[in-house]
Amino acid sequence: MLTHDVIIVGAGLAGMRAALEVCDKYDTAIITKVYPTRSHSGAAQGGVAASLANSTDDSWELHMYDTVKGSDFLGDQDAIEMMVKDAPHAIIEMEHMGCVFSRTEDGRIAQREFGGHSRPRACYAADRTGHALLHALYEQVIKKADKIKIYSEWYILSLIVEDNVCKGVVTYDIKTGRLEVLRGKAVLFATGGYGRAFSITSNAFASTGDGIIAAYRAGIPLEDMEFVQFHPTGLYGQGILVSEAARGEGGYLVNGKGERFMEKYAKAKMELAPRDIVSRSVQTEVNEGRGINGKDYVYIDLRHLGREKILEKLPQIRQLGIDFIGVDCIEKPIPIQPTAHYSMGGIPADKDGQVIIDDKGTKITGFFAAGECACVSVHGANRLGTNSLLDALVFGRRTGKALMEFTGNAKLHDINKNQEISSVRGRIDTIMNTSGTESMNNIRNELKEIMMSSCGVFRNKEGLETCLKKVKELQGRFKKAKVTDRGKTFNSELIEAVELQHMLEYSEVIVVSAINREESRGSHARTDFPKRDDAKWLKHTLSYKKPDGGIELKYKSVTITKHQPEERKY
Amino acid sequence: MSKVIFSIRRFNPEKDSKPYYKDYEMNVPEGATVLDCLNLIKWTKDGTLTHRMSCRSAICGSCAVKVNGHPKLACKTQAAEEIINGRMKIEPLGNAKVLKDLVVDLEPFFSKFQKVKPWLVTEAAGSQQSAVNVKETRQSPEDFHRIDAASTCIMCASCVSDCNSWASNEKFFGPAVLAKAQRFVDDSRDKATLERVINLSEANGIWDCTHCGECVERCPAEVKPMDRIVSLRTTAIKMGIVNNNGARHVEGFVDSIRSSGRLNENIIPVKSMGIFNIPGLLSLIPVGIRMFLKGKNPPIIHKHIDEMDDVKRIFKRLKK
Amino acid sequence: MKYAFYTGCVAKGAGRELYSSSVAVAKRLGIELHELTNVSCCGAGVISEKDPLLSDTLNARTFAIAEELNLDIMNICGTCQGVMMKAQKSINGDVKRKGNINEILKDGGHQYKGKVKVKHLLHILIEDYGIDKLKRLVTRPLKGLKVAPFYGCYLLRPSAYSNFSSPDRTTALEDLIIALGGEPVQYDGRSKCCGFPIVMMNKESSLTMSGISLKEAKEKNADCLVTPCPLCHLNLDSYQPEIDKIVQTKLNLPILHLPQLVGIALGIDSKELGLNKHIVSTEKILSSFLKGL
Repeated sequence: MLTHDVIIVGAGLAGMRAALEVCDKYDTAIITKVYPTRSHSGAAQGGVAASLANSTDDSWELHMYDTVKGSDFLGDQDAIEMMVKDAPHAIIEMEHMGCVFSRTEDGRIAQREFGGHSRPRACYAADRTGHALLHALYEQVIKKADKIKIYSEWYILSLIVEDNVCKGVVTYDIKTGRLEVLRGKAVLFATGGYGRAFSITSNAFASTGDGIIAAYRAGIPLEDMEFVQFHPTGLYGQGILVSEAARGEGGYLVNGKGERFMEKYAKAKMELAPRDIVSRSVQTEVNEGRGINGKDYVYIDLRHLGREKILEKLPQIRQLGIDFIGVDCIEKPIPIQPTAHYSMGGIPADKDGQVIIDDKGTKITGFFAAGECACVSVHGANRLGTNSLLDALVFGRRTGKALMEFTGNAKLHDINKNQEISSVRGRIDTIMNTSGTESMNNIRNELKEIMMSSCGVFRNKEGLETCLKKVKELQGRFKKAKVTDRGKTFNSELIEAVELQHMLEYSEVIVVSAINREESRGSHARTDFPKRDDAKWLKHTLSYKKPDGGIELKYKSVTITKHQPEERKY
Repeated sequence: MSKVIFSIRRFNPEKDSKPYYKDYEMNVPEGATVLDCLNLIKWTKDGTLTHRMSCRSAICGSCAVKVNGHPKLACKTQAAEEIINGRMKIEPLGNAKVLKDLVVDLEPFFSKFQKVKPWLVTEAAGSQQSAVNVKETRQSPEDFHRIDAASTCIMCASCVSDCNSWASNEKFFGPAVLAKAQRFVDDSRDKATLERVINLSEANGIWDCTHCGECVERCPAEVKPMDRIVSLRTTAIKMGIVNNNGARHVEGFVDSIRSSGRLNENIIPVKSMGIFNIPGLLSLIPVGIRMFLKGKNPPIIHKHIDEMDDVKRIFKRLKK
Repeated sequence: MKYAFYTGCVAKGAGRELYSSSVAVAKRLGIELHELTNVSCCGAGVISEKDPLLSDTLNARTFAIAEELNLDIMNICGTCQGVMMKAQKSINGDVKRKGNINEILKDGGHQYKGKVKVKHLLHILIEDYGIDKLKRLVTRPLKGLKVAPFYGCYLLRPSAYSNFSSPDRTTALEDLIIALGGEPVQYDGRSKCCGFPIVMMNKESSLTMSGISLKEAKEKNADCLVTPCPLCHLNLDSYQPEIDKIVQTKLNLPILHLPQLVGIALGIDSKELGLNKHIVSTEKILSSFLKGL
């Protein structure tokens, strides 16, 4: 059994930012299933929001209002206020750590327009902002190599919680196939999102909700899982992200008739309306036959921006278009379609990352969550672009500080190592020793297809119920799926099987939460309940795993401070 | 859809005494990337095939493998472009130990970055961290552009895979690490430039790059590591860190062209070694004698080129 | 066919056999050469480390002089070729830089327009002269001779500065070897680095680089190597006794300059080709082809 004061799972922005806060005083470990620089934070392109007011006037108040409105009033306003107030400092701090930012002529951090933001407040490094932030943090982390132990390519399989006290985790060393218990005074999950369950997704192969499921299985509820953000501009057929920066810099969305169709849906903000609205607009155009050549995609047209601006501001996007679909956006418009992008839901946590499991504020002692895997909730029903990197930085930092405070008064707990290992071993053996009449690949593909078609941009009761039935069928078939690799060394087939198991489990939670929420709010658009219903549904969903494996839904109220819900227009 | 034979180098340390190639025949769907093909093989033909991947949008650096002999990011390489006579060869990265199939041990690669202190140094050594600054450090767009290319590195190790200098000397810092170093040497915010340049001018640093260009060719990002190394050398010379064979070689070379328009091969080795470097000078003797005996020694009287005045004029003009 | 002949420094210094064999081969093929005697060193990628503008200006001067003769440039050194291509690209792609450079050249009476083509002898043989035409002139086919091609970095990389459309897949040297009646050796070393640029900085590493490729060629039964770059030649040939010690093998692999190999097949006198001026004797291995020369 390995012991550290603080165990952080995940080496993206939130995890590494937290590690830097706590490592000087406490022995800190980071467990990550990919090398830190592979974390999916690095794929964020367009920017990170902060009201620095470097090119126009701006204020945290405006940032807060934009975020609250963007969240379709489901975001908790106390947390949002905290985040937007912390934002300028969090960015400046990253700059001081060495993060590379694009600059204004007078040397300040450059800022660009982004959907749903009323001011240009997206700080950026060309269209590689997440990459720049991730690498800056990684540099700081390896500077403290003597204080932060990184377990790269270790995979989280279980969270050890007893009587609402967190004691450690069970992990799997991918390189050797060895199971290992890590005991800690505090555990932080910064394990990222769960967008892999959809056929068209911008998410990494690694974004399979592993942390979320480990928490869920340990009796912790998941919050607002029905809110999955679809980004309007995924590369057609691939789902790879074409950053919102493309629209921030002035790109047009065009349908098969050559119309800038956003005029019909958001006359004032046009292409820079929030993502939920733009995705629905794209989907509506496609559904009503106005896709390009009647097909299921539309164009994002950047040609009028000119070669120079594209090369300076959007170089990565251009390259992605060339490499992945053979389209150079300097010469041709890029075919796009909505792509599963961000998980608003996750492990319920407060402003300091402390995991809270009900509406009464009951804590899991020693268990924290931050970043995309957490639901604080600052994004409510729809996240604004550039607020996710901010969320990871601000709450990574805040949680790091909370860990400092907590760890000082905390102790290590006894863990029955053999029992923990054998329980996880049993789970792996079950997967390894199935009869093998089913194909993992078919199950995964069928899951992703049904989630995309029935639990995607638009949803309705009938479709969701079909979807739920299918997910349950697939869960049954998974028990008969085969893993052919019997080895211990780098058994990626086994890892993929475990990931699929996670996807099957949380997909059910997403669908059940979505069936119950009989309204349309933010990213959750029900064609059978097209209106937002504040009277009934201005509340967060909490999904609990019942001992029999079923799901129990509870709800908790939304914190509203400065802004009363109003009609959302752009 | 066309039938293609994928010849993949396999190795499982639990079973195999040495690597072998296994062929998989498969239809390549239109628009499929090499990673799509690897996954199709793994998911439909042979679950034991092992490779790394994550973002599949060319930013995380996980999936670099050798395709037809040279490293590529599998996720951003169109399969159709790599089919040669109906075949494609896929192998693990070079200059690294294979853990299993296409997965190599990256620990030596990642740990080497420590050698160049790859983090921004903002305070002079020894002084205390100043009170929290509330504003960003200003940096001009020009200064940003000096570090922009190197900062696009995704640490995929493609450059190292084909690095000739690394292949012959594992202690060489390697292209990725040196590019990372340039990103800090040229960062207008960094306060440790001189210390960095001195460190980089030591053995196994900037002067051990052999200019082979493999790293520029293999880098899937915009880093062009060799160009970053050249820029570090220029900086080192400018800063006067010239007490080494590499910098002396450059100075001697330039002197030779300045005085005669062409290289004086009799003098340059001596200048590179440094005239007080006795062992270095002695090491030149065997090859010198050997060449002399075969009539390969450069002419004793070194002639300058015609119109030398014009070349001298250019040197003078640019010195200003 | 006529070219402005850029000899480079080595062919006038430690590798004079490259000069004489190039001249002899050109003569036999009826290629007219106007030797440039008033041009400077290309900088070999070294001057640009001190001052990139200086390096580009010196090369622009060479280009201008060739343009004044209305001739394209023929290189016989892979490094000169690569360095010139890079300089040309850097100047042609930057109007301001080109203007600055021409301003400097003006006082010497030169102006670089940007038109001259820079070619290596290998490209000239393959593309301008034509491999079939060359084949017809072979009088002494290199039958049974296993020749390992060694391209040298600068003709291939970075590909942005290469005349080959797909440097990784080019078979120019192999095609040439076949045309001359020989048998190209297939080995990874063909496109690797000889290590010469760092022989003064890290001799062990430099010679190991040569050693890796030479040993591989030897294991693939090569009788000799051929290279279009005299700097590769310096490492591979002149240092071969030291390389033997590093790879712990008596390599005994003769290293031929490109025009020497062509010259042998065309029946040119071995003295003229300078085949006696090698550290690793060419005689023993090539004896069957050199008979009667």
